Amino acid sequence: MFVSFFYNLRDHGIPVTPTSFLKLQRALCTGLIRSLNGFYIVARAILVKSERYFDAYDRVFAHHFEGVELPDLEDFELSEMAKLLLEEWLKNPEAVAAALDVDEKDLNKLTPEELEKYFLDRLKDQTEAHQGGNRWIGTGGTSPVGHSGHHPGGMRVGGVSRNRSAIKVALDRRYRDYSQEGPLTQSQIGEALKKLRRMVPSGPMDVVNVQKTIYETMRNAGEIEIIFDRRLADRLKVILMIDNGGWSMDPYIPLVQTLFDYTRNQFKDLKTYFFHNTIYDRVWSDAARYNKPELVTDFIKKDPETRIIVVGDASMAPYELMAEGGSIYFGEKKRKPSIENLQFLAQTFRHCVWLNPHSRRAWENTWTTDIIKKVFPMFELTLDGLDGAVSHLMSRN
Amino acid sequence: MVQNNFSRFKGADKYVLDDELAEIVNVSMALEMPLLLKGEPGTGKTMLAYAIADSLNMPLIVLNVKSSMKLVDALYQYDTLTRLNDSRFGDSSRDVSDIEEYIKMGKIGQAFVADTRTVLLIDEIDKADTDFQDDMLDVLDQMEFDIIEIDKTISARHRPVIIITSNAKKDLSDPFLGRCNFHHIAFPGEDTMRMIIDVHFPDLGRETTDACIKTFYGLRKLEGIEKKPATRELINWIRALKADPDFKLSLLDRGDVPYLGVLYKKSPDMKVATGAISRHRG
Repeated sequence: MFVSFFYNLRDHGIPVTPTSFLKLQRALCTGLIRSLNGFYIVARAILVKSERYFDAYDRVFAHHFEGVELPDLEDFELSEMAKLLLEEWLKNPEAVAAALDVDEKDLNKLTPEELEKYFLDRLKDQTEAHQGGNRWIGTGGTSPVGHSGHHPGGMRVGGVSRNRSAIKVALDRRYRDYSQEGPLTQSQIGEALKKLRRMVPSGPMDVVNVQKTIYETMRNAGEIEIIFDRRLADRLKVILMIDNGGWSMDPYIPLVQTLFDYTRNQFKDLKTYFFHNTIYDRVWSDAARYNKPELVTDFIKKDPETRIIVVGDASMAPYELMAEGGSIYFGEKKRKPSIENLQFLAQTFRHCVWLNPHSRRAWENTWTTDIIKKVFPMFELTLDGLDGAVSHLMSRN
Repeated sequence: MVQNNFSRFKGADKYVLDDELAEIVNVSMALEMPLLLKGEPGTGKTMLAYAIADSLNMPLIVLNVKSSMKLVDALYQYDTLTRLNDSRFGDSSRDVSDIEEYIKMGKIGQAFVADTRTVLLIDEIDKADTDFQDDMLDVLDQMEFDIIEIDKTISARHRPVIIITSNAKKDLSDPFLGRCNFHHIAFPGEDTMRMIIDVHFPDLGRETTDACIKTFYGLRKLEGIEKKPATRELINWIRALKADPDFKLSLLDRGDVPYLGVLYKKSPDMKVATGAISRHRG
């Protein structure tokens, strides 16, 4: 029963599973469901596991049982895509023009509305996957919209209906492009970072050490001698520094976000700082880089055992890194070139790594990456890279 | 075949239940599946378990999850110290050679060995590690666990009614979600809230109720508040108003809000609210 309803839900990106569907059948057998309203409630409780999908569920339900027209997924997505393209266009007209194989000058004459329509038509024409890769959404990609940005359907990797349009395929590919090893999910990051722990005894002595207690009791000729220990707790201090400025980091925002979310949950003693491109005299603990500046030289007061994780693409103009007063921000007066600040950090804290979301192959092309790589041990922001970074952070020397 | 002869849950004296939730609770009990409740604090997630236990006349066992908790803590505890003590002094009625005498049941264990069907509330599961959830999957699935020390398997005599709450601090893992029924409790609307107040303060006049609710929802709309006042705060606030002999309804009509500290628990929130109120009055 209701098999088509089930597939309709799936098609709209709600992750329903066969097991839960079978559970629903069992629920129907109990005779507890006696009205359509009851079915609505029960099916939602059993099939949908997050309130994020409640809205999509409502739409599918209304369509399936009450015949309400469902907005055409394809058209909806196409226009979304067209908007994305438009944004892309505003930022980087050449790349878009080249990828769509049209003349930039022609497009320049169009108004934004016309442009959007033009893109829409172009997208509809396209019935097969891009040959020659994903240029218009890949390498030059600056799209700020992440994976679960606007619509639960379509954009997910896997689990989408069989008759996917070229656009969806393209979207999938774009997502994969964030990381050569496939997208990092929170649980994968969790697995990789699990080793990053330093268990030390702390807190009150409230755990009985059975081994020692027996030993001491025996030594005491059977008179009980109870030995208490302190509980083991994770006392690792972690500082996460994130490059959150400039559109060169934009494509990696979802990835960095996942990393950030996980680390925030995982480490009790985590401080996060933000910077733009590279580190000058100050870093900020608020993401807007405005309210809470902190002097980098003050970091010397921190525990030298603190683990420093810098996340950034390390690519910038050479003068930003090497010149005195190289900051691209007016009014940020400084004496030292940025590279000295980086060296200072690397010398103060033995355990530090730089995670770079760019793939290793791209590092050679950027001069500054090469320089920073000599200061900080640099790893890719992929599963393998994280693994390497963690073992570096935990090594004894 | 699923048993269908249990008493059905209809709501309790102090708990206002919407039909939706009642239906879900009943189906979860029939299917013998845990019910996962999510929602912002103060929407009555925890209270639901109390209400179910109350109305079905079942004992309630509450497992308050803590961040450092391991699953085994929730299952059973082996009391080595008492055993050591007994072996030294030998004056207790327990048999020292029998480890089983020194096994104490944790909350889940208690629910499993109870003589009657119980309601087991696992409160704020998102506080613990994901390991905790993953380990719990098997226990809840099989309705049994092993006590390693005595090599014995404890299986549930009566399958407890399991209610799990989560404040959505972390996402729960997919396999875990797959084994639960899910419901998200939205913040009650004004009408439901009126019913809730009626249940708690039956003698509160209609005018007062309306004025309080109006002020309360007005305050909830304020921007930049970290912890919005919830049902619990509203009820305490009304209690405070009732206790104050000087309180008059006209105060609220003028836009004045006495006892703000009952509604806001954080000083930045307090500041924002005070500012908004004085602007409103001025």
